Amino acid sequence: MKLHNAQKTCWNCPAIDLAGKVDFRACGQSVEAFERGPDQEGDVYVMAECKRRPELGLFDPMGITFEECPEWVETPFGYMLKDMRVMILGIDGYLGWTLALWLGALGFQVSGVDNYSRRDWVMERGSHTVVPIARMTERLQAAREVLGININFRRMDILDRSRLREFIEEVKPEAIVHYAECPSAPYSMIDADHAIEVQRNNVLGTLGLLFIMRDTVPETSLLKLGTMGEYGTPLTGRPIFEGMFPADAVLRWRGREWSLGGELTPRDPVSFYHVSKVQDTFNVYEACKYWWLRSYDIMQGVIYGVHTEQVAADPRLRTRLDIDEWFGTVVNRFVAQAVVGIPLTIYGAGEQIRGFISLQDAMQCMTRLICSPPEPGEYGVVNQMSGYYSIRELAETVARVGRKEFNLPVKIQRVENPRVEADRHPFEPIFERLPNDFGFEPQVSLEEEIYRMFELLTQPEIKARIEQKKHLIIPRTWWSGMKKQVETLELWEE
Amino acid sequence: MPFGLIRDLAAEDAMPNTQQLIAEGVFRRMTSSIPEISSVAWSSVITGTNPGVHGIFGFTDLAPGTYRLVFPNFNSLKAPPFWEWKRSGRSVILNVPSTFPARPLNGVMVAGFVALDLERATYPPSLVPHLREMDYRVDVDAQTAHKSLPLFLQDLEHTLQARIKAYRYLWEREEWDTFVLVFTGTDRLAHFLWDAYEDPTHTYHTAFVNHLRRIDEVIGEIARRITSNDVLMMLSDHGFGKLEYDVYINFFLRQRGFLKLAKDPPRGPQDIADGALAFALDPGRIYFHLKERFPRGPLSRADREALLDELTAAFEELEIEGRKVVQRVYRREEIYTGPQAERGPDLVLLPHDGFNLRGSLKARKLHGKDVFTGKHTHADAFLLVWGEGARESTPDRPSVSDVVHVMEELRERRRG
Ligand SMILES: NC(=O)c1ccc[n+]([C@@H]2O[C@H](COP(=O)([O-])OP(=O)(O)OC[C@H]3O[C@@H](n4cnc5c(N)ncnc54)[C@H](O)[C@@H]3O)[C@@H](O)[C@H]2O)c1
Repeated sequence: MKLHNAQKTCWNCPAIDLAGKVDFRACGQSVEAFERGPDQEGDVYVMAECKRRPELGLFDPMGITFEECPEWVETPFGYMLKDMRVMILGIDGYLGWTLALWLGALGFQVSGVDNYSRRDWVMERGSHTVVPIARMTERLQAAREVLGININFRRMDILDRSRLREFIEEVKPEAIVHYAECPSAPYSMIDADHAIEVQRNNVLGTLGLLFIMRDTVPETSLLKLGTMGEYGTPLTGRPIFEGMFPADAVLRWRGREWSLGGELTPRDPVSFYHVSKVQDTFNVYEACKYWWLRSYDIMQGVIYGVHTEQVAADPRLRTRLDIDEWFGTVVNRFVAQAVVGIPLTIYGAGEQIRGFISLQDAMQCMTRLICSPPEPGEYGVVNQMSGYYSIRELAETVARVGRKEFNLPVKIQRVENPRVEADRHPFEPIFERLPNDFGFEPQVSLEEEIYRMFELLTQPEIKARIEQKKHLIIPRTWWSGMKKQVETLELWEE
Repeated sequence: MPFGLIRDLAAEDAMPNTQQLIAEGVFRRMTSSIPEISSVAWSSVITGTNPGVHGIFGFTDLAPGTYRLVFPNFNSLKAPPFWEWKRSGRSVILNVPSTFPARPLNGVMVAGFVALDLERATYPPSLVPHLREMDYRVDVDAQTAHKSLPLFLQDLEHTLQARIKAYRYLWEREEWDTFVLVFTGTDRLAHFLWDAYEDPTHTYHTAFVNHLRRIDEVIGEIARRITSNDVLMMLSDHGFGKLEYDVYINFFLRQRGFLKLAKDPPRGPQDIADGALAFALDPGRIYFHLKERFPRGPLSRADREALLDELTAAFEELEIEGRKVVQRVYRREEIYTGPQAERGPDLVLLPHDGFNLRGSLKARKLHGKDVFTGKHTHADAFLLVWGEGARESTPDRPSVSDVVHVMEELRERRRG
């Protein structure tokens, strides 16, 4: 079977210089760089030069496929540009660190930046990562020693545009993965200071990055992390498309009809954090339109899990895992609660449905997307999830695995819902692009990953770290602004 | 520029300096290359060879053994340009088309279009900042004319003035034995505004003529700067004529069943189907889909002769609105000789007046009409040679590949 990106061409390849546009009808060249590419009539050509194979001279960028090009080599995740340079913004984070090792092991040249703000935010809340993580210098050293991976790291705030620009110019990344945002909805709902900090950090960081990319690496693909939470949960039950309406969607009103195909679908973010992601979406979308940048906006489901082969290779290589009310995500929190005997906290009815994906499957998706860059000007959206579950189902699954495999007396409780959200709603997410266009196949089942999490979190040292921060598990941050611990509504023993 | 236009404008006093050179020198109609486009014609001018030797058959070509569209440039030129010949002395080469990227020479060069950036167009690199100071540009922006003719004319003028500055700068500072200066704005002008030239009442008629007037002034300046022992040659690489119809050759080939596409619309030649027998590249170059040449070609050598006849007949019969389109169907063997000849197209079409051949694979009609009003012509380029010995050394019916040989002969004569 053909690899998913076999038929992509130099038009998508970051190693290409799109040299200019030529209109031979009037023997003329144009100062306009390249715009849309070869035109519909076939009279205007785009000329490309390969930065890696200058001996090819000038050629039509559609003329060579990844499959044909010796610079693209086969991997389990599609053809990969040899030694491709990937820069990870937010490389010290839960996903950033995991991806750095994952890509490094595959032979990518990894670089990254972080300002450790996640460590600071968590400390500010009086919490800590329950899986202990090493300092960056130690992490880098361990990556070298244990996995033979050299990561080019620089500590910086991405809002420091001159430094970021300098680093990007130096590294010339062929793909940039942008994780460097504050990822927490409850954190953004604490008070005005926190809401402003989250939006400032996320929105302005991304906006500045777009300008830097325009000026320094316009042919590099941007893999920007959004979230499924940008869409909200439309109560009409209409499908949650992948960013844009499909070609055959129509709007009908007062007897008239319009196609909605290709338009951005409505967004209905569910916290000030999610609003920052929606703002990013528009900024990235516009930059692709104005400057022919190319980006995938990745609407990621909630991540769960602790495992990839690389992070498990050495304690110093572990990625962080948070369980407090602000930075813990639901499955991770449930497993930790089960380990220390806190009844799993379902908010409200527990019928909220969300999209999920395991840590390792998320890494697979990212790799496939990196290997199959968008074309110039393309703003592509993927809904990155491997399945969807109600919160209640998740709690039951965690409880089942904990009881059966680890002999833990796990209970489940319904508590007041501190958020403003529908706790019963229809949900029909479309998540077809990753499997159909990028060959993604989930490898890890929910039960399997939960099992691995129990294995890790029941280790005495980690269990002790959960115990230390037990008091930060039950939420106190209400969307209303109220600060009080939520009350238990109901307790289920088994 | 066509022979007739130069003759007429010179006679009408728009180009008085040229008129004087015509009176004192030899002024001939010259044939262009086949096909009559700048990259091929200029490669013949500077190497003194036909495409069978210099290897440039068009602005586009296919990488050998593939369907990959490539854009040949100076690195693809298989014969040395005259300034790399022995005993050529020191040269200043300004704006010769298809000499990008520039490479070291005894002298100075700034490549003409298609040049992607000024840095790689220029030798030695130390010249670049000076060119930038003059706001030198390789070419006008071809897209401007589609948006606004006044802006295009402004751009044309600006580009010309910068080019003149560059020529003066180099003339005054450089030692040289040969100085080449090419004006390419006239070609762009004629593509967009040939109708303005033909029609004295056209809004832009005066603008058209004024552009040539200014070039004539430069010609006068150069004529005054040279000595009686020097040779001055003026030439165009092709003629120009009225464009009435764009004719889409690949559409015709599809209609007649010679060409099949694997995808519609095709991305490019890579989507030519296995069963296709022939296809065209711009402007009227016909390639046979031969097994020995293309990965999916169905034809063997033995099939070639029959297809030559069949296609020649088909093209000779092609009519649009009662007018024959193709004046002559050339076989490769007739027009190309040399080590590169086999890489050339199997057939090349020479159109009748008024017909502009196009090689787009995406065309969905046989003919149409674009914004362009002028097209290249083959038979009426011009060559003007001034200086002692001009008459003896200039052939009666010169072609573009004769130019440097005339120049060498005159140089030889002066060496004594
Ligand atoms: N974890 C999830 O379940 C999930 C789900 C959907 C989307 N996402 C998104 O994925 C991305 C990564 O998530 P994560 O879980 O790894 O979060 P994380 O907080 O662990 O990682 C983000 C990293 O970026 C760094 N960072 C933040 N702002 C920075 C700045 N201005 N300059 C430099 N570094 C900065 C942080 O220090 C942190 O190390 C985030 O954008 C998040 O919104 C995460």
